[in-house]
Amino acid sequence: MALDFDRSIIGSEFDRTVFAPVTKDAIQEYAAASGEPGANEVTAPPTFVVRLRGHRWMPENMPNLGRVGFDAGKDIEFGVPVRVGDVLTAVSTVHDIYEKTGRTGSMVFVVLRTVVTNQREDEVAVIDQKMMFR
Amino acid sequence: MATRFADVDVGHDLHTLTLTLSGDEVKRYAVAARMPGGRFMSDDDARKEGLPGQIVPGNLSLALFSRLIAESLPDATLKKLSATFRGLVHPGQPLKIHGVVTEKHCTDEGDRIECDLVLESQEGDRLVTGTATVQFPARR
Amino acid sequence: MILDLHTHSDASEDSRAPVETYMKWLVRKRDVLPIDGIVLTEHRQWDPHADYRHLEDKYGMLILRGAEVETDYGHVLVYGVNDDITRHFDFTDVRLPAQELIPAVARMGGLAVPCHPGRPTIGLCEHYAHKPPIAGVVAVEALNGGSRRGENERVQELIAHYGYHAVGGSDSHLVSFIGICATQFADEIRSVEDLVIALERGRYQPVDFRERLKKEA
Repeated sequence: MALDFDRSIIGSEFDRTVFAPVTKDAIQEYAAASGEPGANEVTAPPTFVVRLRGHRWMPENMPNLGRVGFDAGKDIEFGVPVRVGDVLTAVSTVHDIYEKTGRTGSMVFVVLRTVVTNQREDEVAVIDQKMMFR
Repeated sequence: MATRFADVDVGHDLHTLTLTLSGDEVKRYAVAARMPGGRFMSDDDARKEGLPGQIVPGNLSLALFSRLIAESLPDATLKKLSATFRGLVHPGQPLKIHGVVTEKHCTDEGDRIECDLVLESQEGDRLVTGTATVQFPARR
Repeated sequence: MILDLHTHSDASEDSRAPVETYMKWLVRKRDVLPIDGIVLTEHRQWDPHADYRHLEDKYGMLILRGAEVETDYGHVLVYGVNDDITRHFDFTDVRLPAQELIPAVARMGGLAVPCHPGRPTIGLCEHYAHKPPIAGVVAVEALNGGSRRGENERVQELIAHYGYHAVGGSDSHLVSFIGICATQFADEIRSVEDLVIALERGRYQPVDFRERLKKEA
């Protein structure tokens, strides 16, 4: 049976979170754990933005997608770097939902788009996260 | 590896990273990246989720791609990064991360190159594939 | 003539390869990858308006189009897609009935080739273990550039048992994987119609350029 869900959730905002100011400790902890060079000790490495977790990671009215979810991939477009003291805002929408089959069987993919800006409303990153459910 | 835009050519290989992540390193990353989920913390917790053992977060593979770019092209800025997580990556598994330049072009924003990126197992299975767009400083 | 019969451009949701960048790469790598053309087989879709003739002219390569669809026997490459076929079969459906699809595509002027048959769940080998064989299969993809250890090898038994012809394709989703596996045809191919006739005739074999590429590196 084809995937059936209310397509009006696509494009609708489901989360808007303003984060506490970025700390030097958070940047250094992430840089050390990821092994990813940042520009310096007050500028975060590029993938620091994946650390941002909003209040909701999925819309409330999502269809029933399956028991287990996995991160299936990401597309990130980087804007201005993240620096100590930045107050970041992340706004998330459902970008797409589709079904496909693979080695592990039938899967539903949900693409969530998160746009991250700083306190100057500069765009920091646009993150498309692909979640796989089976 | 040449690091100036003029010296980089399509077909040039990036550096190769060869490493094996330990369970503790994976756990440390999951904590620093604020990733809830027992699957990243220990074999026992992962098995409770139906997995064969502790797994490496996809975000850490993404960070490894970023590291590869930074080490290969230290003067350039990462503008885009993509990754498709095709298979589970486990701690203790020898990994090879490599890439190749596939395109170079001049844009209004500056000189950019595109790269293909691969994280593969020792046996050559491509577990994560991706691309990067990298921008070089404006020429004076 | 050598064609990569299984490729994905950035029109497929999990590919990051623009068609033009594929062309530039193949022209640059011509001494190692003697590919004359590619067939774009995008996932679960068919765009009747896509037109790459300007790139064919610019780069001197053949660019044909097909589709990779998903069935109850695994994934299938469809060549010779036309309005009749897309009216009958919804390419976005991940459970197309293969027993119906493959003969129907042939009746409607195309040809459907099961791809990566050795792959778990979405390959023909596993389905043939507990389901009847599909009527009308002419060829299978014996060499897939994205398959893991052992998956291509599993297909040899299938081919030997059923007498299927064998094709090869890269299954590329990144620029640098285009053409690593392909199909060498004895026939000249200038169009999708030529391709369908050639596939039916059976005068071809898969070719593997991966060792050549390793030596070049």
